[in-house]
Amino acid sequence: MKIKLFFTGFSLFIAAISYGQSTQIRGFLDVTGAYNKKATFGFGEQDLYITSAISDRISFLGETVFRYDSEAHSEFAISIERVIITYNLKGNHNLVLGKIHTPLNYWNDTYHHGRVLFPTIDRPLLFSQNIIPLHTLGAGFEGSNLGKMKFGYNVFVGNGLGSSEVEDNDRAKSVTVAMHIKPVDRLRLGLSYYYDVISAGADVHGMDVDHLVNQHLISASVARFGKKFELLTEMTTALNHTDTTGTKTTLAGYIYAGYKIKEKYVPYVRYDNIQYQNGEMYYTKNNRQSFVAGFRYEINYLAVVKLEYQHIANEFGLDVNKVTAQFAIGF
Amino acid sequence: MKRTTTLISIFSGKSAFIKYCFLTGCFIFTLSGKAQQTTLTAIGNISGVPAEMKQSELKAVLMGETQRWKNGKRVVIALMKTNTPLGKTTSTKIYDMSGDELNKYWLSLVFQGKSQAPVFFTSVSELQNFVSQNPGAIGIIDKPVAISDVRSVIIDGKASF
Repeated sequence: MKIKLFFTGFSLFIAAISYGQSTQIRGFLDVTGAYNKKATFGFGEQDLYITSAISDRISFLGETVFRYDSEAHSEFAISIERVIITYNLKGNHNLVLGKIHTPLNYWNDTYHHGRVLFPTIDRPLLFSQNIIPLHTLGAGFEGSNLGKMKFGYNVFVGNGLGSSEVEDNDRAKSVTVAMHIKPVDRLRLGLSYYYDVISAGADVHGMDVDHLVNQHLISASVARFGKKFELLTEMTTALNHTDTTGTKTTLAGYIYAGYKIKEKYVPYVRYDNIQYQNGEMYYTKNNRQSFVAGFRYEINYLAVVKLEYQHIANEFGLDVNKVTAQFAIGF
Repeated sequence: MKRTTTLISIFSGKSAFIKYCFLTGCFIFTLSGKAQQTTLTAIGNISGVPAEMKQSELKAVLMGETQRWKNGKRVVIALMKTNTPLGKTTSTKIYDMSGDELNKYWLSLVFQGKSQAPVFFTSVSELQNFVSQNPGAIGIIDKPVAISDVRSVIIDGKASF
């Protein structure tokens, strides 16, 4: 199935070339060294993305990630992260088809696999703990920079959680509605809503869902990347309803702050918190808090070095203390 | 009083070396000041790009916030590379960013699929040719030009800013 998607993207890429349109292939990669009771080295995902203007109104973006996977035959897995065909309807309004980063949160939509763009080494727990659906496959509309407040919106209908890359597993569709404004330069305020019905028996993130779940996600974000001070905070409230447990609420969020000493040197901190209500059945309940303090050296816009200390406090299991260094590049 | 005396002693020819250094320093200071004060001109293909714009509209276009011109032509942005003197001035004066910040801005925007990347050039003549050959193309150079299919765009009533 993934191979089908890969060939769809590849066909569009070839089509773009034959039309003589501008096509670019770029990517991201990172190498890390970490210390957590022992020193270890590793490299992260190798992310390749293709952008192409197919015609005056049609454009394509494909993103493929190659990553280590101990269960894969070759110990590496290929993941089609995004296949997006955009048709410009009028002005700044577009029709979007394909697999997208669910536009619920600033981080997920802005950075995702671009670690050279990440302000910290890793994603916040909000994204690594599967609180929100990172991807959605479907169709929708988007608009941006409308009016004086630079209003933007996304309305997207997708297959929803539990679906495969090529078909829906049930009749229910996920719905994402997101909006944001940029009232002044370097400031973005966002608000979003997601609804999905997850069928009993669905396989979500490698786990079987026992009961039908009605999920509502409400997210808010504030992103301010000034010339000196950087602030990014997001909060998601997840309401998961099952007939047996009723509605259970999970709160997940983080706050990041950085300060540019000079243009290239940025010390930063980040605090994450996830709190599950007792009786939560859809998520794996394990209240977690994380504190990160680090330093970022931006050699240039394509090469960034970060050094970071992270403490994770788990409700179940041992706390984690680690020091990580990362060299992230774009190419 | 003391400062005036010092200046007089420098110009009185007591030390030719100090005099040379002082004049060279003045010359370099003047040149660097002039580099920062380079005026910019927006040029556009006559198909799509309007003859006059406000500074805020120009900035919105060059930030990738406007996808289409009023006649429906796609906005195509042409810029000097950020490591050229003109590219540096463009980054600072229009985007209020350093060259690296501007490159990162576009890397992020293109990665998100929100915009097509600008086309970057190392010479003004290449940029002008690109703008003349591509309907909807707008670019930033240092002085007005008069070549076929390209117009200098008046920004806030001025040819240069």
